[in-house]
Amino acid sequence: MADTESSPTPESFLKRSPLYRALRSRGARFMETEGGAVADSFGNGDESENLAVREMAICDLSPLPRHGFKGKGALEWLRKQGVAIGNEDNRAYTQPGGSLVARLAPTEALILGNLSSENALSAQLEGDWSIDTAPDCYAVPRNSANFWFLITGLHAPNMFAKLCGIDLRLHKFPVNAIAQTSVARSVAIIIRADLGAVPAFHLLGDSASALYMLDCLEDAMGEFGGKPVGISAVRRAMKS
Amino acid sequence: MKIMLCPLNGPRNISEFVCRGDVVDRPDPTACSDEAWADYVFMQDNVAGIVREWWYHVATAYWFIAERNTVTDEIVRTYPASEIFHPPVDHGTDSGGRS
Repeated sequence: MADTESSPTPESFLKRSPLYRALRSRGARFMETEGGAVADSFGNGDESENLAVREMAICDLSPLPRHGFKGKGALEWLRKQGVAIGNEDNRAYTQPGGSLVARLAPTEALILGNLSSENALSAQLEGDWSIDTAPDCYAVPRNSANFWFLITGLHAPNMFAKLCGIDLRLHKFPVNAIAQTSVARSVAIIIRADLGAVPAFHLLGDSASALYMLDCLEDAMGEFGGKPVGISAVRRAMKS
Repeated sequence: MKIMLCPLNGPRNISEFVCRGDVVDRPDPTACSDEAWADYVFMQDNVAGIVREWWYHVATAYWFIAERNTVTDEIVRTYPASEIFHPPVDHGTDSGGRS
C-alpha cells in the first residue's frame, strides 16, 4: 500500500481518471500504472479492502488502457494480429496475456488491458492499426471517452438489480457474458470477469457521466456495505 | 415494462429502443421528383395493422427491423436488416449527399 508521503498526485500525470477528485475526497491514495495515476488504496487497511472486494466494492480502472475497433473488417484484422475472437456476439475472450477482448457485435470489439500487470496488447494494437493497412476497420478510442469501473463481490448482482434491467445473477449471466444496456438510465457495457472465486463485472460508460454513475453505484451498494477500493485489493483477489 | 427482442442483444426493456419509422424503398435521389423525395423523407403511410419499421437499440447503436401491429402495439417479429437488404443498404455515391 502506498503511503501518503510517497503517493503521487494525479495532477502530476497527463492521464487521469475523470473521478480523481472524487476518489481523493474519499481518501484515495494513488500509484502510477501505465503512465497514469490509479487509486491504489483508500487507507483503511488491506484486510478491510480485501473483505470489501469479496462482498461489495467498486474500483476505478479508468486510467488503464483500453481500445476499440469497429467496421466490417474489424474482427478479421484483429485475428490477423493474433487476437483470439470466437464467433459469439456479446461474449468476451481472454487472451494468453490476460487481456480481455469483448466482441460487442459482428463488426466491433473492445480490448481491455490485463489488471494484474502492465500489458501492451491494447496499446500494441492501437499502434499497429492504420487506416491504410486495416481495410474496413476503424479505431474507436475509448481511453478518454469511457469510464471503466470494476464492480466486485457476492452482492454485485443484487446491487445491479436496482439499476439495470438485465438479470445479472451468477447462474443467469455467466463468466465472459456481456450486456450492452442501460444502467441507472445511462448507456453502459457490462462484462462479467470474475477475480478467481469472486464475482466481478467490468462497467464502462460515457466518461462525462462518470461522477453521476459513481454516485448511483455508491448509493445502490450502500445497503450491502459496498465501498471504493484500490487496484491493489483487486490484484490481491486475482492472485488468491 | 414492455420487452422487445433485439436481434443482437436479446430481450431488453423497450426504453432502450427508438422507433425510426417505416421501412420504405428509397427513390433514386438523382432521378426522382421533389415531390417523390419529400414523400420519402417526410410522409408516413400510417397503416392500421402490421407494419415494417426501423428500430434502433440505443446502447449499441444497432439498427434492425421490427414488424409491429399498430392496432395492438404487439411486436410480431424482429430481425437484422441484412435479412431483407442484400447487400446492406447502399447509400450511393451520388453528389446529392443524402444518406
